[in-house]
Amino acid sequence: MKLIKIPEDRYYDYKIQAMFDCYKWDPQFCDNNTLSKYVLILSKEENEELVKLTQNLDKETIIAEEYLNKNIKIAKKLSLPKKILEQIPSMQNYDKTQNIRLMRYDFHPSINGNWVVTEVNSDCPGGFAESSLLPNVAREFIDIPNLEYNSFGERMVEVINKKLNKKGTIMMIHCTCFSDDRQVMQYMGDRLKKEGYNIIYGAADHINFKNKKAYCILENNQTSIDLIFRFTPLEWLIQMNPRRWDGYFSSLTKSCNHPISIYAQSKRFPFVWDDLEKAGIDMKTWRSLLPETFEVKNTTLKDGYIYKPVYGRVGEKISIKEACKDDEYEKILKDVKKHPKQYLMQKKFESNPLKTEDGKQYHICIGSYTIEGEHAGYYARMSQYPRIDSYAEDIPVLIEK
Amino acid sequence: MNGKDIFKIYAPNGAKWIDWVRPVPFVAIDIYNRKPISDWCDRKIVFIKKYQQDSAIFVDLPGKESIEFGIALSYLGYRPIPVFNGTDEQQGCIATNNTYLIESCLINGSEILKNINLKNDANPAFLLDSYRINRYRSKESIFDNSWDLYKQDVPSAEYFKQNNIDKIIVIGDTINQDIKKILLNFQSKGIEIYITDGYACPKRIILKKTIKEKFEKEEI
Repeated sequence: MKLIKIPEDRYYDYKIQAMFDCYKWDPQFCDNNTLSKYVLILSKEENEELVKLTQNLDKETIIAEEYLNKNIKIAKKLSLPKKILEQIPSMQNYDKTQNIRLMRYDFHPSINGNWVVTEVNSDCPGGFAESSLLPNVAREFIDIPNLEYNSFGERMVEVINKKLNKKGTIMMIHCTCFSDDRQVMQYMGDRLKKEGYNIIYGAADHINFKNKKAYCILENNQTSIDLIFRFTPLEWLIQMNPRRWDGYFSSLTKSCNHPISIYAQSKRFPFVWDDLEKAGIDMKTWRSLLPETFEVKNTTLKDGYIYKPVYGRVGEKISIKEACKDDEYEKILKDVKKHPKQYLMQKKFESNPLKTEDGKQYHICIGSYTIEGEHAGYYARMSQYPRIDSYAEDIPVLIEK
Repeated sequence: MNGKDIFKIYAPNGAKWIDWVRPVPFVAIDIYNRKPISDWCDRKIVFIKKYQQDSAIFVDLPGKESIEFGIALSYLGYRPIPVFNGTDEQQGCIATNNTYLIESCLINGSEILKNINLKNDANPAFLLDSYRINRYRSKESIFDNSWDLYKQDVPSAEYFKQNNIDKIIVIGDTINQDIKKILLNFQSKGIEIYITDGYACPKRIILKKTIKEKFEKEEI
């Protein structure tokens, strides 16, 4: 694995191309540029290893979530929001052949030479265009022959084409007030439009359900929907008023993702592994890759451990002291004391930073996608400190042939 | 000129503060084939007489006016930094915000801006649309493309101070709620806040949290 720099005098053009041709509409976060000046190159062997581990994790996760969906007593250990727990009976009609299952597993290189997986983005992973278009642009800017990449978007199109009639309507559900959500949806929508689908952009409350089928209520777009492509997290969806969101749970309209994604989205997922194994479900890949995880029973943080929120996103509220800004670390500890059930304690692993030719070092997180159980490309980010959060930089991934 | 060329006029290579220019409306110029407007109004800046080395400006006016004021400020030496972040609605829908007008006005502005010779380190004038926070929907079928300005969308107080800026002048009728959150933080770090309606001399204001704001859960 190595980092190759985009030539300094070409970086401006690269960034412009990323924004205009690769849907990178959020290239700045506070004072930080979020588009890396480097490209990440994986060896063929590293890629093969990651693909294998990703697909094994996915196999275990899919079996686990189907089991949890049928065993509410065990699912309760995940501390799902009450409103979601109430919907589990409605999800009993879930048919995986009718839906599209998309996940992204976050891999980090550790100083022991192993991969560590810190989470699965089970519900609404993003980064589609960064995975699908940016590597191709980056390849033109670095002068290294024989590099390839796996495009998330092309794999997604392939899967959708198998499950849907090309005249169908796909509704891209997102928080319409956020351009960084729209950029994810717009890439996928534009790509699917080229295939012939009717694409509608809207918010979660622009769908209504009749006889368990979804239809769009947007002005001049009132039509039945053949696929719900959702980028609004379930934890937000259930806050929606009026309460029509129940329909998402019992819907017979195809979804990517169906709300069954919530089981593995909870970072308490490891707390049900013993039960899953008792039921004969193998969790050995997960056990070998995820750092030891415990419930917060008393709020004294053990040495070498960190706190993580049960439903955290993009590294928020993770108590890695050296990565926290200002009084963030103290605020997290205070919050853990107040809401211990909203956190868990995890053994801290030592991330192995990659060194660049110009003497810098960066911590790397490689998000490895699966769609319908098959590996579907990478979305990587890097940071100067060992936490990958909103300040991190997006970095395209290329693979040696 | 396409959206990319227009973007490059607002964010030329090597200039300071350009990292904060949001590409969203410029991308839309190409997608929706926007054209310049016909009723562009050339404004004149009267609330300050000359460029102030220690000040940055936040223009928080309705989109068209905001861009017109931004371009007028560039004659004084400020670099207009558009931070518009609203997306276009689904075709055929009614939206809470008019993003078309902003996209079109940015084209008009670029035609003028390309002939103004700004210094590479010119202080910024951040351009906002004061209608952005309009999220009232009379019907559920309306597309909500309102947006807020968040602290991550602009430089930090530390960055302003490192660049010798310790005054922020807001052009607007009021300090909108989303900007207030950002400016409260700036104020706590020693940056002075001024407000003007775009005509009168800027007045210094001291922002205070309301009782409700005091009890709001602190973000981590």
